[in-house]
Amino acid sequence: MNVLNSSTAPNAGEYAGDEVSAIVLDPGYSTTRAGFAGEDVPKSVCPSFYGQVDSQYLFGENAIHQPLGNIQIKNPWGSDGIVEDWDTATKIWEFAITSRLTGAKATDPTKNGLNDGTANGDGGETMDVDMEGLENNEKPLEDSPLLMTEPGWNSTKAREKYIEVAMEDWGTPAFYVQKTGVLAAFASGKASGIIIDVGASMTTVTPVVDGMVLRKGVQRSPLAGNFVSNQIRLLFKQSQPEIPLMPHYLVTSKTQVDAGSPAQATYRKFDIPPTDGFRRFEEERVLTEFKESVVEVWSGQGGRFNNGTNEEIAKSQPGRPFEMPDGWNQVFGAERYRAAEGLFDASAAITDADNPRPKDEHTIPKLVQAAVQAVDADIRPMLLGSIVVTGGSTLLYKFNERLNNEINLLYPSTRNKLIAPGPVVERKYAAWIGGSILASLGSFHQMWVSKKEYDEHGPSIVEKRCR
Amino acid sequence: MPPFKDEQIIIIAPGSEATVAQLGLPESFTPARLRFRSRMFPAEKDGEFEPYKIRRKHSEAPKAGTDGGDDDDIIYEEDRVSEEGAVWPIQEGKIVDWPCFFALVSHVYNLLNAPFHTPILLIAQPAWTPKEHEKLTHFFFEKFKMPAFSVMDSALATSWAYGVHTATVVDIGKDKVDVTAVSEFIPHTQGRVIALPGCGGEAMTQGLLSKLKSKGFTRAMCEQLKKSAICEILPIGTPLPGTPDANNQTGITNTASAASTGALGSGPAGAHTIGSIPRGPGADTEVGEEANAVDDEGVLDVASIVASGKMSEYLANKEKEKQDKVLAKKKGASTETPAAQNRAFRLPNSKREKATFMYEDHHLLDTLKGMNLGVKGLADAQASLDEGPHKKGQAVEEDEPRSAGDANGAAEPGSATSRSGPIRRELEVGVERFMAASGGVLETVADAIHRTISSVEEVNKRSELWDSLIVCGNGSRVRGFKESLLATIQSKYIISPSSATIFTSEIPSNISTPAGTGANTPQPQLGPHGSSGVNPLLLAATTAQNPHLMVHGGNPLMPNMSSHNTHSSHGQTPTSVKFVKPPEYFPEWKDVGYDEAAFLGAQVAAKVIFVVDQGQSKGYMTRPDYNEQGPPGIHDYSL
Repeated sequence: MNVLNSSTAPNAGEYAGDEVSAIVLDPGYSTTRAGFAGEDVPKSVCPSFYGQVDSQYLFGENAIHQPLGNIQIKNPWGSDGIVEDWDTATKIWEFAITSRLTGAKATDPTKNGLNDGTANGDGGETMDVDMEGLENNEKPLEDSPLLMTEPGWNSTKAREKYIEVAMEDWGTPAFYVQKTGVLAAFASGKASGIIIDVGASMTTVTPVVDGMVLRKGVQRSPLAGNFVSNQIRLLFKQSQPEIPLMPHYLVTSKTQVDAGSPAQATYRKFDIPPTDGFRRFEEERVLTEFKESVVEVWSGQGGRFNNGTNEEIAKSQPGRPFEMPDGWNQVFGAERYRAAEGLFDASAAITDADNPRPKDEHTIPKLVQAAVQAVDADIRPMLLGSIVVTGGSTLLYKFNERLNNEINLLYPSTRNKLIAPGPVVERKYAAWIGGSILASLGSFHQMWVSKKEYDEHGPSIVEKRCR
Repeated sequence: MPPFKDEQIIIIAPGSEATVAQLGLPESFTPARLRFRSRMFPAEKDGEFEPYKIRRKHSEAPKAGTDGGDDDDIIYEEDRVSEEGAVWPIQEGKIVDWPCFFALVSHVYNLLNAPFHTPILLIAQPAWTPKEHEKLTHFFFEKFKMPAFSVMDSALATSWAYGVHTATVVDIGKDKVDVTAVSEFIPHTQGRVIALPGCGGEAMTQGLLSKLKSKGFTRAMCEQLKKSAICEILPIGTPLPGTPDANNQTGITNTASAASTGALGSGPAGAHTIGSIPRGPGADTEVGEEANAVDDEGVLDVASIVASGKMSEYLANKEKEKQDKVLAKKKGASTETPAAQNRAFRLPNSKREKATFMYEDHHLLDTLKGMNLGVKGLADAQASLDEGPHKKGQAVEEDEPRSAGDANGAAEPGSATSRSGPIRRELEVGVERFMAASGGVLETVADAIHRTISSVEEVNKRSELWDSLIVCGNGSRVRGFKESLLATIQSKYIISPSSATIFTSEIPSNISTPAGTGANTPQPQLGPHGSSGVNPLLLAATTAQNPHLMVHGGNPLMPNMSSHNTHSSHGQTPTSVKFVKPPEYFPEWKDVGYDEAAFLGAQVAAKVIFVVDQGQSKGYMTRPDYNEQGPPGIHDYSL
């Protein structure tokens, strides 16, 4: 009945109303990505940080940037890249899903007027249809299957917790969990390869063969985005004179000053100031700006930045100016190469008493080397032929050139190919996009762990089904 | 032949405060013809809603016994003005009460009196989730049985109205603010600030209320004060009238401290009202004695007086006060020089210490109605209490702002008849009227804009986004709001050209001698991710000094050039902030302002998708599409 006819109502079941799109949830240390399968970008990107004022929890971008008195900024992730605070983490994930995807939960049934009989004026009949939809929404995910991502070294306990939360708390009808490395490879259209994922808290190198993670080859290190931020802080602290790092919320207005001279700004006063943690969190915004506009990875001749005359060459390169929120500004010359150098060369990292030199085996080239060592020699060339680069921190200027140089230094005899998606969105959300692709595949439908199976076997089914 | 005609198209734009709708696209696009406040009243039966408040006349047993009819015979009366007990289904941009929202939409649809073959374009608030879009699609198709339907994001609609493909849309609503970066007609979903609470129009009302509460102002009074022409947000650094600074014209006034210390009373007029009396609630303050307050300003709860039966007393007082005023004026005229007096009248609002506005007292009217006065009694009471301009020659002062009552253009539905219209009273306020945004509204919005633009992934888009700000939404109608917002952004976020790079280190370093390796050969470098954020004037200034530096001999102001020689600029944004100029070719919109530009954009879009494009690029969902795909299909069709 493909005739345009406005007067006929559809028969029940005539439209494909039972076709529901799955939700893909890709939680990370910095942001939590969620969206519908089949779409090209996650619709909901929420910060994984949350605010806490006394016993009240604040979720979402809008809430956590208010300079409230005594606000604390926390993160439920542990330093090892596995969730520590499960209660809050699930709340954040739920917020990410409900706030931008499914809508808030239905209100208390006694108050929302849904149980007050059927008639609704002349629209009675159609309203009923809708009310049923509403009542089903008691649990946030009652009608959408959920695909979650997990880091390659996720513990069995954590995976069981995932499915438990999804099934029990959110009431999802079907669930699956897949490793970020595999999904990032899918996003680039590869089933095998080495996936280098430089995120906020963790850098991971994952060898993937035919859609399976080679677990023994998974390498991880804490040298990632947060490490670079920390390097910038040290850079500021150790420069002469010390560079003041001032977050936006403390400044009311700034005036233009000469480069390098002290800032002249009016500052905001607080009766009850926010905590240091909040300040640090807001400073991170400035550091992100600094990373975007100043920091560059050395990619010139001779590999390492502190090799030979490289530093001299860098000094003759044009500098990049940066202005702080309070108006202080300066041109950063050679030192802008130093902030990210530690990712590749542990000896070049900026250190002080609290921040010891990172371990050599944690640098990205060493991680790649270790990952390649762990796989069979005959598939190494194949893997090196598709090295997928993903994660927000790989967006550092000239990161890929440097990585390419490093890998070619390590493996001069193979054909190494770096696959780094151009669009920023694809680089940042590669694992989510891979999940979106996977969950919308027709053949994937038989892989879901259904609610019934879960009820029968309990959380341990996730170990059997999701490898 | 196009499947739809201009005059068939319905556009509905629900908002937290008002829902606007229109049937048919006129030749020249006009502001929405139908405006309905977004609230419904619970009907007698639970789960049903009525568009107007229904009062039960003679709710109990026949008390006054006017008609002496049957006890069971309850008479209902529609009250078109009152908003007591209303349910507002949209709060902070989110639909919180679906049955009520559906009733509201149905009512609006019925008001439009639509013929049969009408496609509908719905303007969606950013806070509505995809699942909610599906729910709406479901409802609209099932309920209105229209042949085609489309949902359009309000921020996108605004950018259509302005005819720009890249813009930062700041929508100041009632309880919330949405900030959306639209680039190439695609709203950025990541980092979009949706429904930021506590900085919309309501926040400004609360800001006024917090300053005026001690003077006996209610929320309703502050709301109307905010909408009146005398409420203004002064540019940063403008001294408040009546402060010492205003007289000396020096320095910056701390508005907050002026308000809290009450250090206003330097002018002669200021002294007798506020100067000597301590501020804030308490026994010795202005609000302490009620009788005093009655004579004082007329700012008080008249409703409670009326309810307690002291109306005639109050009216007598009022009359006396008026006479006093006239006397005082005559006396004043004789003592003061005429020139000084004239000057006082001619001063702009921002220089005057006090100003008056017309307050429509709905609460009083409700009280009167609740008293069962009967038709005549009600009319009498209303007439005697009303100080509105139609009672000529009595209460109207020369400097009364003409448009005070309806400066917002938000014509109240149902206030048409003068008899049942609200009772108007004249209220006077001091400098508090300039403090609507003192609660940090501007700073919060500015920060939200900064966050939104900073989270746009394409770094080179950011400066364009800063240069194309659109501030819309009825919350931004407060006088001076947009200018102050721009000033706040400029004073806090703008990146000035670094003195270190303009003429010194930058240019010589670019022409340094090439090293033997060739590594130092000057090459036009892209900024990180190719930022095009260079200020063309700065570029022109720097390159003009060294003409030989102009690569390729091109004109530095040519846009494609800026992508080459950008290393000397900041990678940071913003280097400049500008508003987008509103379109000039909609005369009807020009008069009322572009605060509801989303509706204009929707008209443009409706014309394009329903009439011009005819569904070729899937701009709308047709009935057969819906039958085939169901509600989730809407995501393939909406803009």
